Amino acid sequence: MAATVRAWPGRDRCAIVGVGATEFSKDAGRSELRLAAEASTAALADAGLTGADVDGIVRCDMDNVSHTALAETLGVRNLTYWGVTGPGGSAPCAQIAHAVGAVVSGQAEVVLCPRTLTWHSGGGLGGVLRGGSRNGGVGGHGTYEEFFVPYGLVLPVSTYAMIARRHMLDFGTTREHLGAIALTCRERANANPAAQMHDRKLDMDTYLAGRPISTPLGLYDCCLVTDGACAVVVTSAERARDLRSDPVSIRAVALGSGPGVQGGAFSSTLMRESFTTWPCRWIAEDLWRRAGLGPDDVDVAQVYDCFTITVLVQLEDYGFCTKGEGGPFAASGAIGLTGDVPVNTAGGNLSEGYIHGMNHVVEGVRQLRGQSTSPVPGAEVCLVTSGPPPATSAMVLTKAAR
Amino acid sequence: MTAPRRLLPARDPDTWGFFEAAARGELVVNACAACGAVLHLPRPYCHHCGSFAVQWRTVAGRGRLVSWTAVHQPFHPAFEVPYTVVLVELDDVPGARLLGALPGAPDLADGMEMEVRFEAVADGVVLPQWAPVGQG
Repeated sequence: MAATVRAWPGRDRCAIVGVGATEFSKDAGRSELRLAAEASTAALADAGLTGADVDGIVRCDMDNVSHTALAETLGVRNLTYWGVTGPGGSAPCAQIAHAVGAVVSGQAEVVLCPRTLTWHSGGGLGGVLRGGSRNGGVGGHGTYEEFFVPYGLVLPVSTYAMIARRHMLDFGTTREHLGAIALTCRERANANPAAQMHDRKLDMDTYLAGRPISTPLGLYDCCLVTDGACAVVVTSAERARDLRSDPVSIRAVALGSGPGVQGGAFSSTLMRESFTTWPCRWIAEDLWRRAGLGPDDVDVAQVYDCFTITVLVQLEDYGFCTKGEGGPFAASGAIGLTGDVPVNTAGGNLSEGYIHGMNHVVEGVRQLRGQSTSPVPGAEVCLVTSGPPPATSAMVLTKAAR
Repeated sequence: MTAPRRLLPARDPDTWGFFEAAARGELVVNACAACGAVLHLPRPYCHHCGSFAVQWRTVAGRGRLVSWTAVHQPFHPAFEVPYTVVLVELDDVPGARLLGALPGAPDLADGMEMEVRFEAVADGVVLPQWAPVGQG
């Protein structure tokens, strides 16, 4: 008798059973380890678990909190799996994907995925750079920063500005198109009491008058810089059924670089064959095939938004519109709360807080549990994406039957 | 008052030859010595033919402007704002791009013809730079 052919052996094998977050602020006033522990214990409590139940931790490679320090702090009895994935914003969905791999392969049963930043009080990525450079110079060791930073391409905003400029030249994208994304995220943040921009309204005139940061991107095209932490707990679908919370099924995960990835953290994406089509395009093929779903099936999307242009390109690459149409699509209202694909319903990196996209995972779960501050009625399928380029990750979450 | 110290490229075994060539007044790209494939950004191995024999190939130093950004926010004391970072695609190496920096926020246009010049930024350290043809 023929076995049922599944599109992907990991489909719905794991669930997110707990999410947790600290407050998002400009100065948390406590250590990153403590923030990680606060978000982690909240996520575990959400599932009715404690640190003693955890046997796996997957972290982002830019996170200062080690898996061993967090395990000891939380009272993990025996860590049987740990993993490290990708830089910064590319990490969160990849962390979940590693957790799925660990659970499905039997290497762990309860995997914690934390992300902690104190970039506001700590000076952020710029502070890291100002702190000095290796070997009397910047870059080297396959980072390729020596081809970018000496020319003043210091922070990601300038790389994304180059991408936005090329998108404008090739497709007629406008500042107003980008502004529609900023305003959408801000409107969702205005409804979210936990968002850093909860009390700050934004209109198009204010957006357009924002001071230039790195043209064509201005102040309101840029994400926040935040102190805070988020954590997510992944376990098997079987174990999830016995836990306290409403589980959210991990329908599909995907990591991908696409061809010609180029080394380095972010700037080297400018050396790829196209820098207005991102690895998301290749991820999307795998993700939709593994999920057995497509962009038309998505009820709500948490789309990584380090800058407004980041959302615009992903709307195209994940197939919500054709290449070049991301601007008009965003400005049409399609990404608003009553649109075809409501985006960043907690406010995103642009207006909720910058936890490098782990807050997008948390909001994806809350949305499918009906706990979002901007609920999408009847939402059953949520796309969550992590930061592109150079290599990125994404997943599809669905409402799980108990 | 001393000028802010520039951020200099690290002396990496795989990429420093690019800056050494600049100090001689040459623009180079990395290429496979066996099959001739261009390896940009520079890499120590050619996956096209399986060779570790890579070398520097001198190129013409002309290109087209494919993108740019005027930086207005001071991110680092080494860079006085505003300044403009340009992305140039080489005429004689299709798809290979390099960066340059111009002071201020000059008027630039897509596809503008650009030419290389060489800027000594520290003792023994020279960066290839790019400016519109005739304006360098």
